[in-house]
Amino acid sequence: MRVLLHGAYRGFAGGARDVTLDAATLREALEALVRAHPSLAERLRDEHGRLRAHLSLFVNQEDARFVGGEDATLADGDIVHVIPALSGG
Amino acid sequence: MAKQVVLLVGTKKGLYQVRSDADRKKWTVDGPHEAPAPIHHATYDPRDGSMYAAINSTWGGSRIQYSRDLGKTWQTSKNPAFPEGSDRTFFQTWHIEPGHAKTPNILWAGTEPAALWKSEDRGETWQLNKALDDQPSRAKWVPGFGGMGLHSIAIDADEPNKLQVGISVGGVYTSTDGGASWVQDNAQTGGKEDRPDVFYCIHKLLAHPKTSGVRFMRVHVDVFWREPGETAWRNRTEGLPSTFGFAAAMHPRDRSVAYVIPLDDTKRTASPPGIGVYSTNDRGATWTRNDRGLPPGAALESVREGMDTDLLDPLGVYFGTANGDVWASRDEGKSWERAAQYLPYVTSVHAATID
Repeated sequence: MRVLLHGAYRGFAGGARDVTLDAATLREALEALVRAHPSLAERLRDEHGRLRAHLSLFVNQEDARFVGGEDATLADGDIVHVIPALSGG
Repeated sequence: MAKQVVLLVGTKKGLYQVRSDADRKKWTVDGPHEAPAPIHHATYDPRDGSMYAAINSTWGGSRIQYSRDLGKTWQTSKNPAFPEGSDRTFFQTWHIEPGHAKTPNILWAGTEPAALWKSEDRGETWQLNKALDDQPSRAKWVPGFGGMGLHSIAIDADEPNKLQVGISVGGVYTSTDGGASWVQDNAQTGGKEDRPDVFYCIHKLLAHPKTSGVRFMRVHVDVFWREPGETAWRNRTEGLPSTFGFAAAMHPRDRSVAYVIPLDDTKRTASPPGIGVYSTNDRGATWTRNDRGLPPGAALESVREGMDTDLLDPLGVYFGTANGDVWASRDEGKSWERAAQYLPYVTSVHAATID
């Protein structure tokens, strides 16, 4: 499966945009993503391990919150999107 | 190499560098860095030439960045982190303070939630000051309008183990052992305010950089001075047009001179008759309005980190405004010229004097 980094998250990963990983769940995908790009660790989660606010995660076209959150299952060919949440101002 | 002045200007949408040579007549503007992140504060460390910036972004969370090449490139610190089990989470940085010249590699940072952090590796990592965090009186701290933050870190000119912190709204704490222990330090004389809470809403606390024991403090209501050996804050507000304001600065050489920008205490913009910088040359006993060159009658606003001085002679004084201007004085605050305009809302101005 692939992880696509959008907007500010590309900058946090040193410009990386498209990361290919092996993962069975969204949680595993995020862990593998941090192993590949350690600079993302504190940009994805706070010091207590909670996913940051203003971070949107999609599995293919579905908001991850509605397909199991971090327990969402992934299959070959799936795409996880890491997106700075739509924010005005 | 001739000296230059670099104003590190934090705004609600990124960090700008406003530069001039020692004449300070012509300014160039570079930026923004990290827009659209709000920058609460940025500072220059004269000990090694590093720059530090409080990047308070919603995307990816707040973080501290440092630059070892005068702002050309930036690296990200490991975040301040409340310990496992804490009910608090690092939200944003309010102030970054280089340590004393006698303590190389040490920096301090104040954050929201209100806490003090120390770095012993030039800002690469940060450790919570547990002694302050364990103060029983912390239970009484409450948020001001802008949140509950530790924003002032005043290090004594001669003795690096003597430092004070200012908290909104939590008052002043003093340490004489480098932060290993703290005592509340809120005794005042001459206070006229009958509300019991406002003295604890510290807006800016400064230590004179050359004279040990001299302090100047801008509080929600009134301004206060402290001389060496004194243990109370002396009210020095008489002569100012209002009791309210945020921005404050001290003359880096003359220990009797300080500057404030009074604001109307209900509108939160410049007190009538409009924007002006008030200076004292007698430790707050009297105040003089300085507005030559400033727009007459303008109801501008300058916030907590909004004013600073350089180290040149005659002294340069600088302040930023909520409407995106940066004003510069190269005659010790007597007259003013615009150094930059059309920036986003200016949240902080730090003047770096660089050889």
